[in-house]
Amino acid sequence: MSVEEVSQKLEAVSVSNDDTPKTVLTDSNNFEVKHPLNSKWTLWYTKPAVDKSESWSDLLRPVTTFETVEEFWAIVQNIPEPHELPLKSDYHVFRGDIRPEWEDEANAKGGKWSFQLRGKGSDIDELWLRTLLAVIGETIDEEDSQINGVVLSIRKGGNKFALWTRSEDEQALRNIGAKFKQVLKLTEDGHLEFFPHSSANERHAQPTIVL
Amino acid sequence: MYKYTIDELLHLKPSETMTPNFDAVEFRSIIEKVKQLLALREEEFHSAHPLGYRRRSSHHHGRPKVKHNKPKVTTDEDGWSTLETKKSEDEEGAIAVDGEKPFIATATSASSIAQETMKVKPNNKNISSSRPADTKDIVADKQIHGFNTFAALESDDDE
Repeated sequence: MSVEEVSQKLEAVSVSNDDTPKTVLTDSNNFEVKHPLNSKWTLWYTKPAVDKSESWSDLLRPVTTFETVEEFWAIVQNIPEPHELPLKSDYHVFRGDIRPEWEDEANAKGGKWSFQLRGKGSDIDELWLRTLLAVIGETIDEEDSQINGVVLSIRKGGNKFALWTRSEDEQALRNIGAKFKQVLKLTEDGHLEFFPHSSANERHAQPTIVL
Repeated sequence: MYKYTIDELLHLKPSETMTPNFDAVEFRSIIEKVKQLLALREEEFHSAHPLGYRRRSSHHHGRPKVKHNKPKVTTDEDGWSTLETKKSEDEEGAIAVDGEKPFIATATSASSIAQETMKVKPNNKNISSSRPADTKDIVADKQIHGFNTFAALESDDDE
């Protein structure tokens, strides 16, 4: 093959490259292709009460929705990271129109995998991001979507992660719990606890599954 | 079904900050405002309560309950029960130095006895209805001098 022929071929390749649609990686401002997520997700925020007259419904508000990877990153880049949030704040990311309340029809028969991160570790931002990525990427769910949402609660005694499920199917929950432990980088000492929402009103509810 | 691993999603993260589909500036300002309000409240609380919420011991529950050890009571073969009080440090020191029991120490132990409420169960073995436990304890309850009401009425003053 002559040099001219090679040059022509290279030109042809470069022309074909120009025809490919721009992605977020090739042009972060003017990309055309977006990576769709399996579901639409809603970001909710619970504001800490600064006035005694404020009720739970006043404090919990939807912030925005996203259904592509690119929209997700745009949101994450612009909202405060968990360590910047005031105490008694919550971030909730829930599927579709599911409200982050156990009374919601989609949550009523399910429960939550819960983990409390003791101490003021700086890795809360990383763990929250890993949890979000595992949830919206649907890799924490094996088959059909058992997960309704995920919650991060900023508390004085220790920040809490909770993965909300739509059912109490033990085998499915154990699979999800095992993956959730990997996402949170938990060792043998770290315990995940599953609480069904049916026991949400009990004062000293005990977990039905511990991993 | 669309699935992305954590690494794939991280790979898709743009290097530049993108514009979100909502007013993120307002959202951040709300959170900043809440943080400022909470910090102000915390400051006010600390200036009002330098020691924090510290419960007064006598505010809700009356006097605090102090547990006293049960006094040790020994009963001898004659049926007399003796209260053995704890010797004070001064008293013990005095005994160690002088070898005798000082008077002050006795007074202290007497006052401590008076403060204690104790239940003494007598040894019924040596107590009977017919015979007193100790002859020194016989109390003569026979009336020596009676008061005659009629004699008092017929006094010399009336006549």
